[in-house]
Amino acid sequence: MSRIKLGLLIFWPTFWTGFPIKMVFCLLLLAAHMPPWKGAGLFLLLLVSIPIDIWALGLCARTVFIDRLKVDSQPGIGMGLWLRWAVFSAIALPLMKIIVSATTGVAKSVTSSIVHAIKDGIYNIPVAEQISLELVMWGSVSTGVLILCLLGWLYGLGWLTQSFVNNAKSLDGTEEERANFWDSLRIPADQPLLLTAFTGAGVVLVFVFWALLPSTTPHPHEEYEFISKGLKEVKVEPQQVLKEAEKVLAKAELVVKKLEEEKGGESKDSKAEKAKEPAAKEAEPDKK
Amino acid sequence: MQQDFQPVNQPNPFEKIVEFVDERVGLKTIQAKMLNEPIPGGSRWAYAFGSVLLFIFILQVVTGILLMFYYVPSTDHAYDSTQYIIHEVDYGWFLLSYHFWGSSAMVVMVFAHMSQVFLWGAYKKPRELIWLVGLALFGIVMGFGFTGYLLPWDQRAYWATVVGVEIMDKTPIVGDFMARFLKGGPTPGQMTLSRFFVIHVMVLPAALAGLAGLHIFLFRKAGPAGPFRGTPEEIKAKTDYFFPRQIWKDIVAMASVFLIICSLAFIEPVVLLQQATPDPGDYHPEPEWYFLFLFQLLRLKMFGGEFGQFLGAIAIPGAFMAFLAALPFIDTNPERNLFKRPIALVGWTVIMVFILIFTVSAIINRDFLH
Repeated sequence: MSRIKLGLLIFWPTFWTGFPIKMVFCLLLLAAHMPPWKGAGLFLLLLVSIPIDIWALGLCARTVFIDRLKVDSQPGIGMGLWLRWAVFSAIALPLMKIIVSATTGVAKSVTSSIVHAIKDGIYNIPVAEQISLELVMWGSVSTGVLILCLLGWLYGLGWLTQSFVNNAKSLDGTEEERANFWDSLRIPADQPLLLTAFTGAGVVLVFVFWALLPSTTPHPHEEYEFISKGLKEVKVEPQQVLKEAEKVLAKAELVVKKLEEEKGGESKDSKAEKAKEPAAKEAEPDKK
Repeated sequence: MQQDFQPVNQPNPFEKIVEFVDERVGLKTIQAKMLNEPIPGGSRWAYAFGSVLLFIFILQVVTGILLMFYYVPSTDHAYDSTQYIIHEVDYGWFLLSYHFWGSSAMVVMVFAHMSQVFLWGAYKKPRELIWLVGLALFGIVMGFGFTGYLLPWDQRAYWATVVGVEIMDKTPIVGDFMARFLKGGPTPGQMTLSRFFVIHVMVLPAALAGLAGLHIFLFRKAGPAGPFRGTPEEIKAKTDYFFPRQIWKDIVAMASVFLIICSLAFIEPVVLLQQATPDPGDYHPEPEWYFLFLFQLLRLKMFGGEFGQFLGAIAIPGAFMAFLAALPFIDTNPERNLFKRPIALVGWTVIMVFILIFTVSAIINRDFLH
């Protein structure tokens, strides 16, 4: 088996085996307002990832050894492999990032100059076409370099694993026998018990999650007026309410009285005016 | 006379309940059938997509029902009730955001599942009907995305629907009827919202549940296709059972997808734009991210004009879907090994690269609009 394939065969399931456990931790951090991509959140995530990765690496490496390579590893393979892989990746991954970023930067600027030269001298490329053309040009270079870097990294992982394969003891038996042997070492035979345990763990995590989750949105809309915030709690004191009501009634009484007085005055005036009107009308024909 | 008392294992109350249900339902038979199903060639991560899809759909139904407790499907209240869900209902913001990202996850998983079936050659005889029902399910998932997008009734929702219905209108023969039926009037309004709501919460879930049942029935009838490489003897020698290896992979995949959706709901929760109006203002209409590649394609000069738009929006996607439907009947070669089917491998790669390039181009294009 090639070193790249050996590295990939162990890395791929290891990643997916550890991923959901790390994600559970990430989600709990998010619910507790600690972003797992910076500060204390990132530190805690990296700390928790160490035992998870050691466990997942040991589990997946041994599965590949037994199933594919027909050998069984020495005890403590998880820890041994993790130390080597971690040191190697700590050097290789930042280096890969530098190489890919630098290549992408150069490819982008070269692509941009070529496209602008075409636009200035040969053909005025429309915006949508220009975007896709530039993307294809620099994207191809970046993807090629990224794939080469990844292959080199996987080769390194495979190379670091090879000595563990060489020191492992060979296993006899058919493929099915070897699979059963490995399953019997790590999986309880009682199916409902195992599934119930998984469900139970899930239920506990759900309770923890909902306990930590903020009940209202951490990203409120700028213009939204909260209905619940508008409702202020008012303390009611019956004596005070009665006094206030009496004051209102007294004021109302005064207003009514005043209105009645004004109306009374108005009606007296209007009566006097009405009395004058017939006398005036009677005088009208004489004028004619 | 001395008697020997043999200890007798008396069943505990839980075992008694299980026994009671088992006698009436046949629990142990169902469990044995489900968990001890043979998987030719052994378990694979690639086989988890179908289970994950079912899992996401169940959670979409649960979150959708919870949202319906508060959502009001009228143009006067749709926006306010959605804002109310986000701001006032306890955990409403999270449920809505989960539902939103869950729909995207469904599209991604349908795409991954279809790709796996295509690359594995699992659409070939005798699995043609499974493939056809799967294509119909793909259409339904897209329909969920399209109809659900309008429901918050903000500018994004309104204008994405306007663009979508305009594209539909270009379809020959049925296009005009479909567009008028969906809109229910000259411009999107109450009738549009009511129809989209009914299709989203009644018609599509019923259709999806029925077709998913048929899909699973046909799959159980034909049996798993198994890996595309190896002789029948080699594949038989590698046969696993559903428990423990495949169920472990399924659980890990479901947990991963669930946790990714939850994290996205946290990091990028749903935030509404202004309430929908027939005036787009500064807003540049844009469809959901999984339609962006098609949207960007229509911006190319060659797809300008009435005929060009018809070609890019209807003729090419329609022809592609028709080709996918006819695929099991065109490709009758029983060879399933991907590396001996160069046209399939190259074709799939080209389509993936095309979708990726045009989706990223659409995102870059946003900078040129302001």
